[in-house]
Amino acid sequence: MRTSKWREPIFALLFLLLSVLLIGLLSLALRPVRTDYGAVWGPYLAEPRDSLDYLYLGSSYAYCDVDPVVLYDRTGLTGYVLAGPEQTLSQTYWYLREALKTQDPALVVLEGSALAFQQYQSYTQVNVGYMPAGLNQLGAIFTAAEPELRTGLLFPLYFYHGRWKELTPSEAAAALLPAGTDTLKGYTPVSGVFDQIADGPFPREGLPEDIYAENLSWLAKIAGLCAQKDIPLALVFHPTYSQLPADFRARAAADAACLDISFFDWTEAGADMGIVPTQHYYDPGHLNQEGASVFSAWLGDFLTEELDLVPRAQEPDNTAAWSQAVQNRRK
Amino acid sequence: MSFLSPGFFLFFPLVTLVWFLLPGTARRLWLLCASWWFLLCAGPEHLFSLIAATTLTYCGAQLLDKAEGRRRKLALAALLTVLFGALFLVKYLAFALDLLERVLTTTGLAFSSPALDLLLPAGLSFYLFMAAGYLIDVYRRDRPAEESYLDLALFLSCFPYLLSGPIGRAGGLLPQFRRPAPFSWEQLRRGLLRFLWGAFKKLVIADRLGLLVSTVYAAPETFGRIQVVAAALAFSIQIYCDFSAYSDMALGCAQVMGLHLMENFHTPYFSRSIGEFWRRWHISLSSWFRDYLYIPLGGSRKGRRRKYLNLLIVFAVSGLWHGAALSFVVWGLLNGLYQVVGGVTQRSRTRLRRRLGLADDAPLTALLQVGITFLLSSAAWVFFKAGSFTHALDIFRAMVTGPWLTRPLSAWGLDRAEVVVAAVALILLLGVDLYTAFRGSPREKFRALPRPIRWVLALGLLAAVLLFGIYGTGYDPQDFIYFKF
Repeated sequence: MRTSKWREPIFALLFLLLSVLLIGLLSLALRPVRTDYGAVWGPYLAEPRDSLDYLYLGSSYAYCDVDPVVLYDRTGLTGYVLAGPEQTLSQTYWYLREALKTQDPALVVLEGSALAFQQYQSYTQVNVGYMPAGLNQLGAIFTAAEPELRTGLLFPLYFYHGRWKELTPSEAAAALLPAGTDTLKGYTPVSGVFDQIADGPFPREGLPEDIYAENLSWLAKIAGLCAQKDIPLALVFHPTYSQLPADFRARAAADAACLDISFFDWTEAGADMGIVPTQHYYDPGHLNQEGASVFSAWLGDFLTEELDLVPRAQEPDNTAAWSQAVQNRRK
Repeated sequence: MSFLSPGFFLFFPLVTLVWFLLPGTARRLWLLCASWWFLLCAGPEHLFSLIAATTLTYCGAQLLDKAEGRRRKLALAALLTVLFGALFLVKYLAFALDLLERVLTTTGLAFSSPALDLLLPAGLSFYLFMAAGYLIDVYRRDRPAEESYLDLALFLSCFPYLLSGPIGRAGGLLPQFRRPAPFSWEQLRRGLLRFLWGAFKKLVIADRLGLLVSTVYAAPETFGRIQVVAAALAFSIQIYCDFSAYSDMALGCAQVMGLHLMENFHTPYFSRSIGEFWRRWHISLSSWFRDYLYIPLGGSRKGRRRKYLNLLIVFAVSGLWHGAALSFVVWGLLNGLYQVVGGVTQRSRTRLRRRLGLADDAPLTALLQVGITFLLSSAAWVFFKAGSFTHALDIFRAMVTGPWLTRPLSAWGLDRAEVVVAAVALILLLGVDLYTAFRGSPREKFRALPRPIRWVLALGLLAAVLLFGIYGTGYDPQDFIYFKF
């Protein structure tokens, strides 16, 4: 019997596809499910398409300080904090590109502490590794990740295969099943007050010129992307007790103006917002849950009153989901 | 670059694809360039050494081919002196000077050996032996000198066996480069399966046992006797799985490209004597020593005493080939001594067996012999692993003194789950090796299975390697034991 010359190539291709599928499933199952502390892409992608009024980007200052549910409760604005721990501006650029594939926000807010970050910080594995697979993740891997981490970022089992000992069936199921929306909306509540907060504020050091220039170039790319999508971009410095030098902030303001970015420096505005350091700082840099509530409520007023942001119409299901999130938070 | 480094998984498919697409000379040139690039990844000095050795071998073979009589002999001696002199310089000079210092110090003479930090080019011990074997073949007129520099360079450089063998012979390899086999799906399947099985042995078994062995060998005095003995036995399995894994991967890669390399292992731990063990372990090196050292020394043709002396010489040199340290020489000599003692006591052992009613080929006899051979080789491996003669003695001391058990299982370097994985993997390895020993290659059996079952088994093996392999952050993929030789 004559066999087709395509028979073996087709079987080979099929086997290759099965192997890739197997590797993909194992990678998903073994990678810890991420629900807070940033890089929470699963719940973000589960948000109804084009349902968010604003997108909040940045580092841990963003996901600890901004509670979109409090903000919604105050103003009716829907939003999401799509930030990552010590997220650099290069990573944020790729986050924004990916995030705008499913959402069309009326405003992008960028928490700007990353302007003072090094080229690579400590959490690339989380920030880039949890991005949805695709060209934007590849872009992040090759432009925003340490070269030595690339193997693991391209092949997650390299980082996570050792978890086979601790993986439970429920954990594996949660990792493999599609994520639903959550009630945190990218926010991470933290509790407690920093013991030595009375000694603050604590000054942070500036940055070598070349690294700042590199950060600025990524900020320009973020601004360019927002301009291309016709979305206003606001660069903000949060009220914090871990403060960048005044001259650095002034320079950032000038550079933001050159890039036509709205800039707001709230570093020393905590008292005006109602933030009490001895009650509201989890550590010198981050607000605790109570502090985040105070700041988020103030932020809601700022977005609606100063930046004229208005809530968009929502599907009833989504309105119900946000209302439910508000109820949960109040509890 | 190693077979398990990420770059190799891009390098190998690309090289193979182009290898099959190009015609004739371009194909060989491509493989040579790829192989040189493979070595270049380790540093330019490594490639320089290989090209120098290749050029010397090529020119030397031409000279040998034309020379006659005494000049021919002198030419060979000069060529081998240069080749092995280079090996001595980079691999053994520091050891020799250190030895000299020790000897002179004990005789009261002051001599301080200089601190040498010479780079050992990757794969040097392997390709120099291939070059030397080729030159001896030309000298003996077993084969003509190779006319094509390209073909000779490819013979010495081909990346699957460049870094750790098998140590190929010109007669077996050169014709394959000149008339490469066409692409075959069957060879692709078999080669990849063999590569995967190698990865399983290396990542799941060898490197897992390596954690246990390193932990115990680092401080043998803190472990009980049973634990130290277990670590010594575990090292026997570790080194088998490590080196045979490399050979499987090398043979697998070559098979995908339509090249057939010499088998390097044949279930060595099922050997019934140390002599048989060495005919089944690192076969390409053992047969090299047999053909180019043992037989020229006289082999077994000049009486028993000379035969035993030749054996001791060969195994001492073999030990030295593995590393520049006294412990390697002792390891080699011990393996030679086992065979000498085995030869001397052969009659009395046969008499004893008969008195005990054990037939020569009875299963119990075979089992006893296999067990004793394994224990003897394991004892010798202690010198190999220890790194120094005194540390090896410390390990033997810890085997016979102190408490039987000191620490819990968790302190061995492997937790309970790791031990379970190691045990299951070892059972699988034992099953495959038993099948190989008694019924032939399990790959043939595998090939006869229906496609869905083959796929499930292959994907299962892939999943086992990916899940249970010791790799990832902090793991050095270069760390094949035989790389340093």
